[in-house]
Amino acid sequence: MIDTARPTSTPPTTGPFRGTAAPAEPLEVAAVRRRRAGRRRAATVDLLGILAWASAAMAVTLWLVTPGSHSVSGVGGWLTDAGIVAGLIGTDLVLVMLVLAARVPLIDRVFGQDNAIAVHRSLGKPVLYLLLAHGLLLTLGYSASSGSGPIAETIALFSTPDMPLAYLSLGLFVAVVVTSLVAVRRRLPYEAWHVIHLLSYAAVLVALPHMLSVGSVLAHGTWQRVYWIALYVLALGLIALYRIVLPIVVTLRHRIRVVAVEPIAPGVVSIHLAGRDLDALGARGGQYGVWRFWTAKTWWHAHPVSFSAVPGRDRARITVRDLGAGSARLGRITPGTTVSLEGPYGLFTSQARTAPFLALVASGIGITPVRALLEDTDLRPGEATVLLRGSDTSQQYLWQETAALAESTGSRLYAMVGNRARSGESWMTEDDLRRGVTLRSVFPRLLESDLYVCGPRAWSDLVVREARLAGVPEHQIHQERFES
Amino acid sequence: MRARVIAGGVVTSAAVLVIGWQLGGQPAVTAQSGAATGSTSGSSSSSGTGSSSSGTGSSSSAGSGTSSSVSGTFAGAATQTQFGPVQVQIVVADGKITDVTALQLTDRDGRSEQISQQAAPILRQEALQAQSAKIQAVSGATYTSEGYTTSLQSAIDKAGL
Repeated sequence: MIDTARPTSTPPTTGPFRGTAAPAEPLEVAAVRRRRAGRRRAATVDLLGILAWASAAMAVTLWLVTPGSHSVSGVGGWLTDAGIVAGLIGTDLVLVMLVLAARVPLIDRVFGQDNAIAVHRSLGKPVLYLLLAHGLLLTLGYSASSGSGPIAETIALFSTPDMPLAYLSLGLFVAVVVTSLVAVRRRLPYEAWHVIHLLSYAAVLVALPHMLSVGSVLAHGTWQRVYWIALYVLALGLIALYRIVLPIVVTLRHRIRVVAVEPIAPGVVSIHLAGRDLDALGARGGQYGVWRFWTAKTWWHAHPVSFSAVPGRDRARITVRDLGAGSARLGRITPGTTVSLEGPYGLFTSQARTAPFLALVASGIGITPVRALLEDTDLRPGEATVLLRGSDTSQQYLWQETAALAESTGSRLYAMVGNRARSGESWMTEDDLRRGVTLRSVFPRLLESDLYVCGPRAWSDLVVREARLAGVPEHQIHQERFES
Repeated sequence: MRARVIAGGVVTSAAVLVIGWQLGGQPAVTAQSGAATGSTSGSSSSSGTGSSSSGTGSSSSAGSGTSSSVSGTFAGAATQTQFGPVQVQIVVADGKITDVTALQLTDRDGRSEQISQQAAPILRQEALQAQSAKIQAVSGATYTSEGYTTSLQSAIDKAGL
């Protein structure tokens, strides 16, 4: 019915064929409620953003209230103080980065963990520059003040207590940021990158002693010192709580294990899981977890994978395509394997809706969150439209399930199969591009819809670009990307 | 949304900075003749090249005992630091350090002067308690502390304690 190269429409079915009851709330009322919730989330995000700004300003203020900061004089003095301020802002932003990477539930709920990581990434290089400037400016400032050369000054600094640790910290930060540059990271195995990235915790920690002993801003017995240590405790505490303690608690509580591994297409497996009280995970359709399978060959690799169905009381299912060396091994996992879970995370859920209608676009393995999202959303007939995209017929896994869900909710379903157009940059097939198909022709109510896109990065970026050009407001665009 | 964050962030940051500026930063009023610089140090030592030191004291071995009881005032060597020379002088009575005064403290700029003045009383207290130069550095005043202990040690050596 849907294995066609052309967009085909499944007429919305109504009446006796409906599998789920449509919500009683009128469409417009629901839309207003969603819009309001969306504004609340946006306001919370803005507030958090402003808080991050204020924390950077606070770092400068720590210096401003230090005696002598209002009467800086001489080249050496200015260099030294610029160095101090660079170090304070840089360190503050490092702590902000830690919080962004800590998977704090509030941040995930209002902003989305993937967006938080995007901000985390964008801060990496500026922070490194600030920290390098900190070291450089202070060295130059000290040497200008004392009249010795920068090299002699560096040697002198090295022999100051806690300073070797500070240099170590700087070296670690350089390593962490350099290995995270796109060009370098692509060449590194994920595990190597991850291990190096974990060193950033060490870098943050070994930087602390020199701030407290050599630095004059955080002198003993001042409130500045208390504030600074409190920031450290907050950032590292959030990491410890949400990235270590909570996943352990979740894993021990739900005791998830593999029940069956079902190949559903070449290179694609559905992993069926069983556990206790899985509904208490609170996973919404469209969310993902970071999974770890405890076999000798796979335990060291964590896999971010979407739920391909809404978890039941004691059952859950994820579907994986072998995109990397690690996930290829997942096909060989045997039933009974213990599984640990971090999550669920993500804002690719119906909770994030802000508009009356729903437009879902999925390509390849990107179908998994879209399928679960469709399953988890109370829909009126005609409210949702689904477009499934695959480059060939082997990529139609989960399509039947999705079609059944679409039918039971009275949603329209289109399919588009074939390689991406060669004649121009497009997310569509050559055929459809020539026929003049657009997002708006597939989704006539596009501007009043929340658009959910999941697929390979390059492809989904093209879909989103077209949506933006068509005038879909930013808050109605929801994107989940993976590297293909 | 982004515009709101940036606008809000700029305004909030500006407010925080203004408050910070108002809160402090001015060097203390008593910047010049710090409390640590004792009134007894009449001989303002020349801070020329490194180790100018003078000792005016009397070593006298008391009668039968082997313990030497020293009394007098001993100035340590001036130690160069990032922020200027540091030199201390100790007052010894019967082999005990009864006072430590700073002849020179880091004074490169307003802040290092301020830091010195915060650190000096703490260092003095520590030295009097320890009766030696093996004292803890004051955090936030590492350079001053190092210079202080080095000069103190040389003063103690001079006194032969």
